[in-house]
Amino acid sequence: MPMDTSLNVAKSGKVIHDPDLCRGCRICELACSAYHEGICSSHLSRIHIVPNDLALEFPANICHQCQYPSCYYACPKKDKSMCIDEETGARYINEDECMRCGKCARACPFTPSLIWVREEDEKKIYYTCDLCRGRKSGPICVERCPRSALTYVPRGKVK
Amino acid sequence: MSEMYGWIGRLLRVDLGTGEISTEETSKYVPEYIGGKGIATRIAWNELMPDVGPFDPENPLMFMTGPFTGTLVPSSGRGSVCGISPRIYPTPWFTYGTMGGDWAAELKYAGFDGAIIKGNAEKSVYLWIHNGKAEIIKADDMAGFDTFVTQQYLKNKHGDQAQVVCIGPAGENRVLWSTIQHRLSNSIGDAGFGAVMGAKKLKAIAIRGNGGVKIAQPDRFIESCIEIADMVKGGPTTHPYHDPIGPETQQCSHGCPLGCGILHKNIPAEVIVGSGTRNIMSHCEDYAFIYGEATTNYPTEDIKDIYKGDMYTRETKAFGERLGTELQALCEGLGLTSAFPINYYPWFWVCIENGVTEIEGFKLEPEKPQFWFDFMRKVAYREDGIGNLFAEDMMRAVDQLDLPAVVKKAAHFQFPMWGQPSHRQGRSYESQPEPLWINTMLHWVIDSRDPMACHHQSSFIAGWFPLHHEGKCGTPDANMEKLYATYKKAFGTSEGIEPGLHTLDAKTMLAVWQDNRAQIKDSLLVCDWLFPAILHAFPTRKEYLEAEDYYGDLDAEAKMLAPLTGMDIDTAYIDRAGERIRNLDRALHIRNYDRSRVVDSTGEWYYEYPEKSDGTKLDSDMFNSILESYYDKRGWDKTTGCPTREKLEELGLKEVADHLERIGKL
Repeated sequence: MPMDTSLNVAKSGKVIHDPDLCRGCRICELACSAYHEGICSSHLSRIHIVPNDLALEFPANICHQCQYPSCYYACPKKDKSMCIDEETGARYINEDECMRCGKCARACPFTPSLIWVREEDEKKIYYTCDLCRGRKSGPICVERCPRSALTYVPRGKVK
Repeated sequence: MSEMYGWIGRLLRVDLGTGEISTEETSKYVPEYIGGKGIATRIAWNELMPDVGPFDPENPLMFMTGPFTGTLVPSSGRGSVCGISPRIYPTPWFTYGTMGGDWAAELKYAGFDGAIIKGNAEKSVYLWIHNGKAEIIKADDMAGFDTFVTQQYLKNKHGDQAQVVCIGPAGENRVLWSTIQHRLSNSIGDAGFGAVMGAKKLKAIAIRGNGGVKIAQPDRFIESCIEIADMVKGGPTTHPYHDPIGPETQQCSHGCPLGCGILHKNIPAEVIVGSGTRNIMSHCEDYAFIYGEATTNYPTEDIKDIYKGDMYTRETKAFGERLGTELQALCEGLGLTSAFPINYYPWFWVCIENGVTEIEGFKLEPEKPQFWFDFMRKVAYREDGIGNLFAEDMMRAVDQLDLPAVVKKAAHFQFPMWGQPSHRQGRSYESQPEPLWINTMLHWVIDSRDPMACHHQSSFIAGWFPLHHEGKCGTPDANMEKLYATYKKAFGTSEGIEPGLHTLDAKTMLAVWQDNRAQIKDSLLVCDWLFPAILHAFPTRKEYLEAEDYYGDLDAEAKMLAPLTGMDIDTAYIDRAGERIRNLDRALHIRNYDRSRVVDSTGEWYYEYPEKSDGTKLDSDMFNSILESYYDKRGWDKTTGCPTREKLEELGLKEVADHLERIGKL
């Protein structure tokens, strides 16, 4: 069944990572996972730094908040499970409503998928960057980055 | 297993001899021993018998983390390795090393607060720790690999995000100053534990985990971490106000907001001396090969019994960024500690100036890069002659050689206590004017190695110390009155950092406090460039100049540890835990190695030589009164240097006191 791409989705702000400024301290991951999960963990973070320590390269994987979000189109319960945040435009997962079907993660056009999955009590839990929706000072990863390698671009300024 | 916050809750136990793998609950040891070095010291007291040597299967090599490891706490990537070190001279004994990087955090994410490794494997193996499991895997195919190749090989096998600690050829050949290497330039260096891995035939440990560290009170914890990270950002010891951090550096530790002067070099693929590696990072003493270091710079008059001629102006030869960096890369690839030229270089010159132009047929030409290239390879592979000799490190090598007395004395001068290279004593390559060197001296004589307590904790004073030695080690902008105000705020008095020995009690008190906090730092674990945070960093130079004092926050550790663990932990608890760890370590050294006041005094001769920038020195009476004042503050017996029963019982160590009494050592 073809996806319904006629849906007009509001633009989103986004977090941009600059690998040339990043130096792999991973404070973004620690802040993200502490804030969202109450656990410090690279795996549970919604931003993943994937350094090549021996070559000193520091690429990252984080949701691009696509203008045409295939994750959102793919969700069978859109606006209940995969939602668009009114304030920032973030494409985020409402875990309470999520059916754990994984269609969003499979629809993500990036490799690896930027919608992550973990198992908890034999349940699959999907999670992705929500731009720290509701947090007054914006995404915590951006705020805590000591190198200014992360920038938050609000929806109005996304090119 | 009850749910734990901060700690994962399990320690991994591996016996490489039998292949047995088991786990143990961390709650047996915490919160009393905090983590890291604290837990390791308790395990050593419980399990390490006096007759065990560094290469015996019973020597436990302990890769430890602490409650802060892998969390949002600034500099939380550090881990500690403990066990009996073969490098310690003359008696190999229980000691410790710490390093940064990502492996310690990954170990927690993989489900363990530490890995305690006993037994010696028959054939070369590595340990693969992942998501609550551990496997011992054959490593025959990795024999002789350098440390960079070993890491890449295991990343190819277990995923590029696996974290690897490993040894190079030097460790495999049990060179006493071989390292345990991680990433490009993180290593356990001075402790000599690479040789212990070599004896265990443990080539590497590869770690990967998807878990995390649970936080008891996330909101409070995050708030504290943010407050404290903002306070220390910029680096109290390195820069009093924020400097722009160079884009060329990688953070040396997971979770660290600083970039304290690490230099990263990308060496072109065509190698010059054959290290075969393209990237390397340099830090601090690593610069020796690249820029040279003022190794002695000693006024000749003060020390003419050792150095003559123009010796006092000798620096290590600077080979420049390209060649020097590659020599360093070769050193780290072989798995040798890259700080060694600082102490070896001036000694080779003393040899030459006293007519010793070759050793065992090996011509001494320290001004030539080829000399170092050959020397390092000969040592790492234990080639007959100079290689095999110096694989035993300086002190043991000169013991075996027939050399002029002055040359032997110069060796001792470079390795004054415990066979460890001189560092922060004011008599080698760094000046430490009084009272700084009094402070570092106390750490040296009490500790079991080149002490971590003075690896930058004294720079909280030194880095900011404009006193009568401006331009020698002070920060030009620093203001002494503000520094005194800072110490008054922290301790009620600034006498601890004031010049002159009339305020001796304040100085020994400060040294005791620093040493206790050093135990905590290596148990939590955090970096000594940041904690304890006596000093504050400032966002701008203007704010720094306008500040009334530089006080940081000595409660910083407790402010983060309490919400992380959910336990009622305050600064007094932390100080007491630090004191407990030091006293238990002392008891262990008394029980196993007859540590005593006599042993503590083995370095007394060294301080009869003057500090090189201000000429201050000690006679025997003064040395002894300082030592006694220190023992007094510690609650240790002044004659023996042994903790009193009263002190041990106060710290909850009654059974330790009973044991020492039973064997006639209390």
